[in-house]
Amino acid sequence: MQLERTLILVINPRAVYTRVAIYENYNILFLKDIQHPDQELGRFSHISEQLEYRKKKILAELENNNLCMDCIKAVVGRGGLVKPVKSGIYKISKALIRDLKSSEYGEDFVDLGGLLANEIASELKSEVKAFIVDPVTVDEFTEFARFTGHPEFERKSIFHTLNQKAIARRHAKALMREYSDMKLIVVHLGSGISVSAHDRGHVVDSNQVLDGDGPFSPERTGSLPIGDVVRYCFNSGKTETEVINMLMHGGGLKAYLGTYSALEVDARVNHDDPEAIKVFGAMAYQVCKEIGSMYAVMESEIDGIIITGGIANSRWFVNEIIKRVEKMGPVHVYPGVRELDSMAQRALEALRDEVEVLEYK
Amino acid sequence: MLACTNHILVINPGSTSTKIAVYRGAQSMFQKNIVHSEEDLSPFDKVADQFEFRKKIILSELRDNDVELDCIEIVMGRGGLIKPVPSGVIAVNERLKEDLRNSPLGEHASNLGGLIADDIARSLPNAKAYIADPVVVDEFDDLARITGHPILERKSIFHALNQKAIAYDYARAINTPYTELNLIVVHMGGGVTVGAHHHGRVIDVNQGLDGDGPFSPERTGTLPIGGVIGLCFSGKYSEKEIRKMVTGKGGLVAYFNSNDARHIEDMAKAGDAKAKLIYEAMAYQVAKEIGAMATVLYSNVDAILLTGGMAYSRYFVELISERVKNIAAIHIFPGEDEMKALAKNGVKVFMGEIKPMVYE
Repeated sequence: MQLERTLILVINPRAVYTRVAIYENYNILFLKDIQHPDQELGRFSHISEQLEYRKKKILAELENNNLCMDCIKAVVGRGGLVKPVKSGIYKISKALIRDLKSSEYGEDFVDLGGLLANEIASELKSEVKAFIVDPVTVDEFTEFARFTGHPEFERKSIFHTLNQKAIARRHAKALMREYSDMKLIVVHLGSGISVSAHDRGHVVDSNQVLDGDGPFSPERTGSLPIGDVVRYCFNSGKTETEVINMLMHGGGLKAYLGTYSALEVDARVNHDDPEAIKVFGAMAYQVCKEIGSMYAVMESEIDGIIITGGIANSRWFVNEIIKRVEKMGPVHVYPGVRELDSMAQRALEALRDEVEVLEYK
Repeated sequence: MLACTNHILVINPGSTSTKIAVYRGAQSMFQKNIVHSEEDLSPFDKVADQFEFRKKIILSELRDNDVELDCIEIVMGRGGLIKPVPSGVIAVNERLKEDLRNSPLGEHASNLGGLIADDIARSLPNAKAYIADPVVVDEFDDLARITGHPILERKSIFHALNQKAIAYDYARAINTPYTELNLIVVHMGGGVTVGAHHHGRVIDVNQGLDGDGPFSPERTGTLPIGGVIGLCFSGKYSEKEIRKMVTGKGGLVAYFNSNDARHIEDMAKAGDAKAKLIYEAMAYQVAKEIGAMATVLYSNVDAILLTGGMAYSRYFVELISERVKNIAAIHIFPGEDEMKALAKNGVKVFMGEIKPMVYE
């Protein structure tokens, strides 16, 4: 008698592609970036309208690859902009679907993760479970971290929770220590950059990566001089949407160097392009300043600094960071992201009742 | 007539008062804080229009107090919002006066300092007019100028006069040249600026006027950009109102309608939970900025110097130091003495220690 197989489908929607993977236990069996060309996405004016379209592409892709659809026991999607929640794995509930669909907490392509997981799970079989893990709004901030200089604004916890937590846990494991006993600064270097203070298992402070503060990144501006932003809003003649698109989505490397690709910038730096050196250097400089801030958050006592994300593949960039912060604590570099592994692993643990599945209300 | 040399008249106009002092060397001989009532100032549309009014009051105060005007060799005015300049003493010339009258950064009472100093110096037989370390002192490294978008630049605007004075005092106290030290100087007044002093140059500092950094008794510091854009386009506020929210009515004023940090501290100590939380959040943000500046100095920091009014508070200092204790030793220089700092710059001119710069 053949043992029943347990496969887990993982869905991580990105701006112009959807990454899908099939895991069996801890092993990845199948991985595919399903591309969404401009002419296909151009039809949709809202991100939420892409749901049917992306779902069909995913199902077609799975069928074409002769995967055992009946063996899929759980579908886990990347969590989006929902209510502030605690870290963990969530069953996809009606309330969660409602908040992923609404733009009350912001609108972003990561919202599609949970929605796609839910739709695809119900297409498969009724007993297939749908989850999200560590949405970007995981909130473990201390009270201090929430204040801005004006009661009109609150500092919010929006950062790369999933990857940061996954890497931090993996790092702790490698040292045979508990994540919940360590004080770590985790730096996620992707299209957005987050620098966060993990104080014994809780992210007590982080720059707000979406439209808040912190270092600039390949596509976002991070902190800007407030007075100048106010003057610009009132006097540039641009609409709110234009200003947001320009500052929030067309900032950082894109604005200075015309590309979102940090790897391309890294290549230019290695060919001694002075403009690339200046801007990439400034980005590293701002990342370091954020690391220093988080060092103060943790009473200047840390077990280490972890650098992760795609840009951690740039030796030049990582070295720029290390030379400014190495005195604060040992620096560990884990290039790339661990999002898929982490989602699959948590889903597997949930199926085996090894972790508590949380309820989103 | 030996006594009658090296006299320095210092003029420091604030928004509601003008401080004047006469120094012989670094020794104060006369100090006066002339308060201007709202009635006094209300006839004037622009700050620059207060020139004659303030000048006349200063001259009559000096006369009434028998100050020997002929002995004055330097008239030192508080510098204003001019173009970025290196740290040091600047001779008042026509170009400087032009920029003080039509400031590229906006009106500020301190713009009157250089203008009045020049006018009074001209009426005296032996005097020259200078300003020293205005808020626009700029020694930034290029890295510090870059923001997340090429249309905006990070600017160097901070409490240069007090930060430099304290840094020099500390350097002298430990008998080491300022130009050999790495210091983080934290000015904690109505605004808060945290400067990274690398071998005598302030290579990065939060832009303390309306840019970034910790919130303070009167200013917001860094705010979430998306939220700021949303507010600007909400139609609820004018540009002027929002700018006022950021610079004069932010921070403690926004939360408590008071810019008096001592008062908020007393509330916190008396058990007011909100006061405690926000007061501690302010210290938390100051500590974060100190951490940031530590990396600017490659985590090689010789000392952290806390100065300004809030450095008098043991509680506030303690809140900061528990977070940054492993960065460097902390030294406290409470308060600020702008008059003395300006006079000391005059003394350096007398001694030939520094050569006044020409403003261009």
